[in-house]
Amino acid sequence: MAKKDRYQNRVELLQGTLDLLILQTLQWGPRHGYGITQAIKTRSADALQVDTGSLYPALHRLERAGVIAAEWSTSANNQQVRVYRLTPAGKRQLLAERSRWEQLSAAIAGVLAPDAIEEG
Amino acid sequence: MKILWRHFTRRRDRELDDELQAHLRMAIADRIDRGETPEEAAAAARREFGNVGLVREVARDMWGWGWLERLVRDVQYAFRSLRHNRVYACAAIATLALGIGATTAIFTLVNSFLLRPLPVRDPARLVGVREEGRAGPSVMASWVPAIVWEQIRDRPQLFESACASSPVGRLNTADRGEADWAESFSASGNFFDNLGVSAILGRTFSTADDKRGGGPDGPVAVISHAYWQRRFGGAADVIGRSLSINRVAYTIVGVTAPNFFGPTVGRSFDVAVPLLGSSRATVSILARLRPGQTAASATAALRAAQPQIREAALAAMRAEGAPARVVAEMSKTFLRGPLSATPAAVGVSDQQDSFERPLVAMLMLALLVLLIACANVANLVLGRAAARRHEMSVRRALGASRLRLARQVLVESLLLSSVGAALGFLFARSFSRILVRQASTEVNPLFLDLSLDWRVLAFTAAATVGTALLFGLVPALRAARVQPADALKEGGRGHACERRWGLNQLLVVGQVGFSVVLVVAAGLFVRTFARLATMDVGFDRERTVIVSLNTQDARVPAASRPAFYERIRQAVAAVPGADGAVTLLSVPASQDHWIANVRVGGQTPPAFDPKLGPFLNAVGPGYFSTFGAPILAGRGFDQRDGRGSPLVAVVNETFARVFIRGRNPVGESLTFAADGEERAAGAVAPSDSPPFQVVGLAKDSGSATNYALRDGIPPTVYFCIAQMDPAITNFTPPPAFRIGVRVTSASTLREVAAAVTRVEPQLRMIARPMSGYIDRNLVSERLAAVLSTLFGSLALVLAGVGIFGVTAYAVARRRPEIGIRIALGASPATVLRTVLQGIVIVVAVGIAIGGVVSWWLSRLVAALLFGLEPRDPATFAGAAIVLTAVALAAGWLPARRATRIDPVSVLRSK
Repeated sequence: MAKKDRYQNRVELLQGTLDLLILQTLQWGPRHGYGITQAIKTRSADALQVDTGSLYPALHRLERAGVIAAEWSTSANNQQVRVYRLTPAGKRQLLAERSRWEQLSAAIAGVLAPDAIEEG
Repeated sequence: MKILWRHFTRRRDRELDDELQAHLRMAIADRIDRGETPEEAAAAARREFGNVGLVREVARDMWGWGWLERLVRDVQYAFRSLRHNRVYACAAIATLALGIGATTAIFTLVNSFLLRPLPVRDPARLVGVREEGRAGPSVMASWVPAIVWEQIRDRPQLFESACASSPVGRLNTADRGEADWAESFSASGNFFDNLGVSAILGRTFSTADDKRGGGPDGPVAVISHAYWQRRFGGAADVIGRSLSINRVAYTIVGVTAPNFFGPTVGRSFDVAVPLLGSSRATVSILARLRPGQTAASATAALRAAQPQIREAALAAMRAEGAPARVVAEMSKTFLRGPLSATPAAVGVSDQQDSFERPLVAMLMLALLVLLIACANVANLVLGRAAARRHEMSVRRALGASRLRLARQVLVESLLLSSVGAALGFLFARSFSRILVRQASTEVNPLFLDLSLDWRVLAFTAAATVGTALLFGLVPALRAARVQPADALKEGGRGHACERRWGLNQLLVVGQVGFSVVLVVAAGLFVRTFARLATMDVGFDRERTVIVSLNTQDARVPAASRPAFYERIRQAVAAVPGADGAVTLLSVPASQDHWIANVRVGGQTPPAFDPKLGPFLNAVGPGYFSTFGAPILAGRGFDQRDGRGSPLVAVVNETFARVFIRGRNPVGESLTFAADGEERAAGAVAPSDSPPFQVVGLAKDSGSATNYALRDGIPPTVYFCIAQMDPAITNFTPPPAFRIGVRVTSASTLREVAAAVTRVEPQLRMIARPMSGYIDRNLVSERLAAVLSTLFGSLALVLAGVGIFGVTAYAVARRRPEIGIRIALGASPATVLRTVLQGIVIVVAVGIAIGGVVSWWLSRLVAALLFGLEPRDPATFAGAAIVLTAVALAAGWLPARRATRIDPVSVLRSK
């Protein structure tokens, strides 16, 4: 009964990329939790569907770390929703994570490059 | 606090709930927009959402307070489970309270005596100037001669500032009649300024006051806060009032703050007077180091200046008029040992030095007792854990981690330990006060500031955590090792191998043995003390009272003193209820010390040994009947003996045995040789005395002088007090004398005091029963008896609890077996026997080992005993019986519970 299995997303994300996605989404403007999942879903053409079991823990963790800030406000439909936005520290973290991601993907691409595959 | 916490967490929970609900609603709304029906939308959205409760929990966890909530829940659970097992909880808490309490109490004493700095300004920079003794640097005299102090005072380059003080002891502050004693010390002018102690009323000493005859305000005194409250009722106008000290009028100029008790730890003070010393007084020097100066550099500076100090001091002595021969004699040993400046944040005190080792030894002993207490509680906890194995394995099966289970056990241990420590702390406060009171005597009172100190609290906290870890760790580890599958196994039978001599049994053997040693010690010391305290000294200790009188102020000339004594005696004898009034000089059975070298007949006396005496006393007629020494041959003193009649003496049996060797002493003639040592106030024999004729032989009894009860009765020679006339006997009657009288009650005593004051109001008077004098000899015996009883009882209780724990554990483990036996028809007696069999053997081994160890150790205390052989069989047998009784009582309760085991439930659970 391993604890770590609980938050498996439908598509396995490398650890830490969820944070990156959330921060990037918020870069485009403050959103509430549902809005964040919808934005990620739309932008990734339905490939990435973040379920709430991962999203909310991540949102609260980031909030506690001071990377994002939250407040209650009224939505268009007159509902009380908790809206998250990026803090200056969050912007710095986003830049750092983006550059790390780019380094990582370049590294992986280098390994997978066609001329590295030896044809028998 | 809890309400705020709950409020805060609930609000957070509600917000999270709202947030998740909002998310769900929006998801459903979107689906409906896309064309699903409301029911389909709701179902699909919920499915996609996942487990709301789980999400909520994990999100809450992110806030990081989860560990605190779990801890609180653990504590609540531990509390509940302890409440359901009251006996176990009480046994564990009581054991811990005793162990931690005893240790904390002794640590409080150690702290107040040895660790706590004086309540002065910046005590870390104080040093004491001491001289190393000939035995080496470890033996340092706390005192230096006052004349050395004067030299150090005149050399300001050695320290930033230096001051001196000297304990004067008790001063009489009554201006007439019965003496009113105040503890005091004398201090140099800058004493209070050097230490940074200020006055809450008035002022403290200045250097101007430190002169012979007093400074500008005349002789001044500073009183302590406690004395101000006690004697003057805290009156605001006490400054400027006059206080009579030894019949000299001093002016009170200041009252010190409540927390200042004087320069020496272990003593308190009432009055401080200026140090108008004679050069023969010794003082203790406290100096303040300059900023940046270390004790080592101060020592170096002192030693560099030492030769000059020595020379200057010797020169000053000569200048004051000391004879050249004496100075030359002194210079051989004067200030030969190197001076040192030692850190004196806790002050300089002779009591500290003498109490240091015994206190530390007691602390070690108390820590040992604490360890045993922990072992006991560990046993108890293990026993409980064995009973809870089923529950633990079920929890494991449900998913609790090992860490969780271990943490639960540790929290429970910590809870037990905290409650025990809290109780023990309260117990320690009164216990330490009792110890100080027991160690304090009238002559040598012990005063310690026992107020709360952070060190004591820290010690208690450390003891709490330490003990919790000690006894909780093994059970916690064992709990963690429980397998989930155990819950499914049959009966929870436990480990197959039941070791006969496992750790538990050895622990019990050790405890029982230790208790036997302590109980034997207690028995020996208590019996010794009882024998001494009730020993027949020939007279009633409480009823026979000594009234001590000093005629110094009444200025009675030496020649008329005997007649004066007689007048006072008649006044006392006239008081109804007082009988047997007799005059005497030395108090019997006390430490009064008047000896001389005696020649019997014409023979040469044996070589004079101050320890052998003989001891002298000058008494009036009737002494021998009042003090229980019937005359065995010849006669006592009577009216015939006075001025002009032949000089007579009475001796006791020991004297006759040692000095007259078998012959009838009556008729022998005694002369006192001049080369003996004379030590009695005012009695001087410049040459051989005229011969005294022995007219009577008195029985050996407590009427002898310098008799300490433990040792044999010393040889004593009694003179007739009426014959003490310098013209006749060369013995000068001293100004201080005593009247011994038997009184029926305290009011009679008051009437006696009144009668004496009527005759001569200028007499200084103290009345004290003989028991007061005799008790002074018994202080260490009493202390030993009290301490050994306390520790012995402690060890007994702990051993009892230990045996209880082990037996309960054994019963819990063997529950199925016992149930089956009962089902098969075993009687309760048989079950009792089965359960107790194991423990009885263990206890017997413990008693045997303890007996052997005390047998071997008892010869070490032989010197401290009286009237008992160190291997007194009665004491040993008594100890064995006590231990057996305690063991049986302790094992009986769980054994009885074993007989009540319901065989049906045992069979069912298999």
